[in-house]
Amino acid sequence: MKYLKKCPLFLLLFVTGALLSLAGAGGLKTIYAGQAYDPLTAPVLSVVFTGIKDEIYPWQIFSGDKALDAMAGGGEASPGEQTLGEGKEGTGLRKSRTVGIFSDTLGSVISGMEEEAKKAEEEAEKFAPIAPLRETTREEYLNHVSADIYGDAGVLRAGEYAFATVDESYFDDAMFIGDSRTVGLRDYTDMSERADFFCETSLTIYGALEEDFEGVGTVKEALAQKDYGKIYLMVGINELGRGTTESFMEEYTKTVNTLRELEPEAKIFIQGIMRVAGEKDEKDPIFNNSNINARNNAIATLADNKHIFYIDVNEAVCDGQGNLNSEYTFDKIHLLGAYNVLWKEFLLTHGVEGQ
Amino acid sequence: MVSFASLGFLFRFLPILLFIYFLCPARFRQWVLLAGSLIFYASGEPVFILVLVGATLVNYGFARSMVKLGEGFSLHEWQKRRRKSLMVWAVSLNVLALVAFKCLGVFVDNALLPMGISFYMFKMISFQADLVRGDVWIKPKLGQVALYFTLFPQVVSGPIMRYHEGEFDQEKILGTEQLEDGMKYFVAGLGMKVLLADRLAILWNDLQMIGFQSISTPLAWLGAAGYSMQLYFDFWGYSLMASGVMVMLGFHFIENFHHPYASKSIAEFYRRWHMTLGSWFRDYVYIPLGGSRCSGGRLAANLALVWLLTGIWHGNGVNYVIWGAVLGAFIILEKLVYGKYLAKIPVVGNLYVLLVIPLTWVIFAITNIRQMGIYFGRLFPFIGGAGIAVNPQDIARYGKNYGVYFIAGIILCVPAVFRFLEEHRKNPLVIGLLAVIFWVSVYSLSVSAGNPFMYLKF
Repeated sequence: MKYLKKCPLFLLLFVTGALLSLAGAGGLKTIYAGQAYDPLTAPVLSVVFTGIKDEIYPWQIFSGDKALDAMAGGGEASPGEQTLGEGKEGTGLRKSRTVGIFSDTLGSVISGMEEEAKKAEEEAEKFAPIAPLRETTREEYLNHVSADIYGDAGVLRAGEYAFATVDESYFDDAMFIGDSRTVGLRDYTDMSERADFFCETSLTIYGALEEDFEGVGTVKEALAQKDYGKIYLMVGINELGRGTTESFMEEYTKTVNTLRELEPEAKIFIQGIMRVAGEKDEKDPIFNNSNINARNNAIATLADNKHIFYIDVNEAVCDGQGNLNSEYTFDKIHLLGAYNVLWKEFLLTHGVEGQ
Repeated sequence: MVSFASLGFLFRFLPILLFIYFLCPARFRQWVLLAGSLIFYASGEPVFILVLVGATLVNYGFARSMVKLGEGFSLHEWQKRRRKSLMVWAVSLNVLALVAFKCLGVFVDNALLPMGISFYMFKMISFQADLVRGDVWIKPKLGQVALYFTLFPQVVSGPIMRYHEGEFDQEKILGTEQLEDGMKYFVAGLGMKVLLADRLAILWNDLQMIGFQSISTPLAWLGAAGYSMQLYFDFWGYSLMASGVMVMLGFHFIENFHHPYASKSIAEFYRRWHMTLGSWFRDYVYIPLGGSRCSGGRLAANLALVWLLTGIWHGNGVNYVIWGAVLGAFIILEKLVYGKYLAKIPVVGNLYVLLVIPLTWVIFAITNIRQMGIYFGRLFPFIGGAGIAVNPQDIARYGKNYGVYFIAGIILCVPAVFRFLEEHRKNPLVIGLLAVIFWVSVYSLSVSAGNPFMYLKF
């Protein structure tokens, strides 16, 4: 009692600290199993806080079911992330599934005259889904390495399309979905006078359709209200440290399919993730260009050069080594405001004309 | 660990040190503290700790000779002369070492600049000068001198405490009250650093990301204001943490900031900003040069020298020299021309400080002179032109994102607010607030792994 009067803050911090430590230690093997924790540099109570960030709360220690759910999510507590966590037999990765998107889209094409049918068949063969060459290994997953499981087949195939140069009115019925890079395109070019932007910092593919963007609502709402002719998508850098190429690809495919369903007439432009500058590439174990390229190689395979196109702005903003040109960026990740115009010009030379 | 705002310091180093320090017998405490300080420094600078230890021994050697010469009731002239020349040698060696390492840092590799050298060398210089002046009364012992130079709360970034303020000859009185008070200062400082300064730092980072040529004029001003606050809460917060730890250890509280943004002149601002550095330059450079008791021309020359040195001391860029020169110019003008008018009219002085200081911080912030020019062009578009790809609406977005930090920062800049909280520090509400600040700060540190820029997402 005497101490409570003399040093209440000390006691308050001591008691709360002890309780948090107990919670951290108690949940270390269960609800906090997915939290990174190094006893040498951080106190055990730090997992309680990193847990809160991932929406895992200390009281879940006492409710068994929720705890298991949280664990299965590897602490990420997000859809599409439950692919790992079983951890049995080597990788424990979910096998990547081929996707039904191509048969859907081509189904409507194959009709009428035989010749056309034959041509379409050839097309269909050419644009058959590209299967991954291998699976992500457990080491790659644990080290946040995005495995290049597709190779450049998709990029090469998508590159065969002859894009047209278009004028700015082309963007009148365009929608852009993206993260902070796209925010730069919106804020530092005049593109937003024509196109609609659904973008915000830290957007990932997991939130692309559902996210309620400030002032404009969700993508789904917008597609219900207005007919868009083009949908541009650039996300993927924020989730580099999360999941695997497979889990990213699965969510990306799902998103593209949904966009197709919601706006069947629109052309979908999958934009390759913009790379980072060389200095960052060399130092960063996660946000580096080999991870970016691996994921770009994956999403490029979705292009059918008919409804879905793959374009890569890196052609316009990278240096000879394939890194984001360091003169165009301060933080090695984002284009300086004034250089977003390069991206706009790239888009103008990568239009698709006709229906 | 060398950063107070890190989990390693908060939950490993500090509690363990305090535990041993409080439990061990009083006569061993200074050794515990010395050992702890050396471990602290070595954890950040495993090699350059040799420079600190070497400089400590050399300075102690000089001090010993000086004290020997000074024993007895009255000193002969030759003794005084000898002591003075010893002091000159010691100070010169310290200055030489500091300049040498600074040059290595600038011209060879920044990694060659030992951590905290600018601060501990200034302590060493003041120590030698204080010995000759008679400000150090009791014969200093090696352990005490070493402790003074290496004290872990001060070794990285000050405050530049004077030797006699440490009262190293007295056994420290430890008590729950000191522990409690020190902890309150510490938590307040931690909150300022982690919850205000580190967040505002992201605004400045954002402006660099956009590129200065593309920011609107209102955003340029917001950026200057944000940087001014970031620097203030970073350093004031750090100083409160340092002095808070000192109070926990039984020392006096050393004030390093006294609400500088409430000043009415630039000269006053720098009497209230980083006070231990300002008073160091006053006592060991300005006054020995003649201070203000001399002709106007001489006074201007003295001030110019002090402020150029202050600029050079702060960093390795031309911009720091410009920064020091500009401040010196303002202070000279205040002393010789308009200072007396400024003092007479209320409010005008405050506005003048609030306008000029952020502009000088812009010079301080931008090491690249061309970029600095671009920034000033955006601040004053009638000089700098239109900019490139400027988004006139940017201010709305950033104002909204950072508004809450600005509001909190402005409130804390009002002297009465801090004073009120200080006076009511035993109120349960204030204690509860501090506890919340502490744990929210720990939350931030936990999820960012100590790197404030981890908040950044793309």
